[in-house]
Amino acid sequence: MSKIKALVVDDSKIMRSAVKRTLDQLQLAEFEYIEAMDGEDALDKFSLEIDIVFVDWNMPKMTGVEFSKAVRQMEGTSHIPIIMVTAEKSMGKVDTALNEGGANAYVTKPFTADQLFTALGKYIDEDGNFKLGGASTQKKSFFKDMLNLK
Amino acid sequence: MLPSRLSEISEIPDIMLDKVVQSVKNTFSSISGEEPALVEQVHELQPMNGIIGNIAVFNHEHTLSMMLAMPKETSVSLSVKFVGFELEFDSDDIGDLIGEISNILAGEVAMNVETIGFRGQSSLPTATRGSDLSLFLPNKPPSARLRFSSADGDFWLYLALYESQRH
Repeated sequence: MSKIKALVVDDSKIMRSAVKRTLDQLQLAEFEYIEAMDGEDALDKFSLEIDIVFVDWNMPKMTGVEFSKAVRQMEGTSHIPIIMVTAEKSMGKVDTALNEGGANAYVTKPFTADQLFTALGKYIDEDGNFKLGGASTQKKSFFKDMLNLK
Repeated sequence: MLPSRLSEISEIPDIMLDKVVQSVKNTFSSISGEEPALVEQVHELQPMNGIIGNIAVFNHEHTLSMMLAMPKETSVSLSVKFVGFELEFDSDDIGDLIGEISNILAGEVAMNVETIGFRGQSSLPTATRGSDLSLFLPNKPPSARLRFSSADGDFWLYLALYESQRH
């Protein structure tokens, strides 16, 4: 079974660990994590092999929104979910990230497993499988009952 | 809400302070599950063995500078709530943690002060760790020093309001 390649971008190591830990807790899939510490670093590490991106907004060198815009300008990236994970909370910021930046979902820090699951909802099928990039990436079942999530 | 020249005011307006206090309560309750209480405004912070997170919410006119001062014991206790285990106070991770908490607080402050007409964005956080730390505010800007009590221990938030540097 192939692992989902998740690019986790945050200038805080603590927050990158928090994203990875929460995803592992959710047991949506088996992940292979690629970490980046800012938008520039993330662009260097980005490829079409990436299945999903979790990206902070406020980072040195290149912000998460600038990174997201750059990715969306590349061909063949429209199907790759970009999840903003950020402390920016105003509606204007959410709007900018989703509409200008091309992000697909928005999660504010600090987040719970429940909130991350909700943000990922549209990428999870009725059986609790993570559906990314078609049949070839069908992943491990999600133990919804165990985690007591909707 | 704020005059363009801050020399016209000597204190941070109460309406802004209220928004900041609410932001502190929201931020820390979302991290630790318990809402901290504002104990008092203090005139100065006694020299502290701990860590200070520095961040600002700013726009082209004004900069609200925030210094989150945490004694060693409070920061270590908070690390358990945030990362699930106790971080070493002498580690880089504790600086990363307090910087990130400052960042989350600034995001909350930015959202809340926007409702009273201060539309700004957050700077990047920095953190300073040390013993016998003292805080000084040069040029005597409008400022406030707030002491909070929480289940993880006391902490302080220093606020200073500046006119943004114009280029």
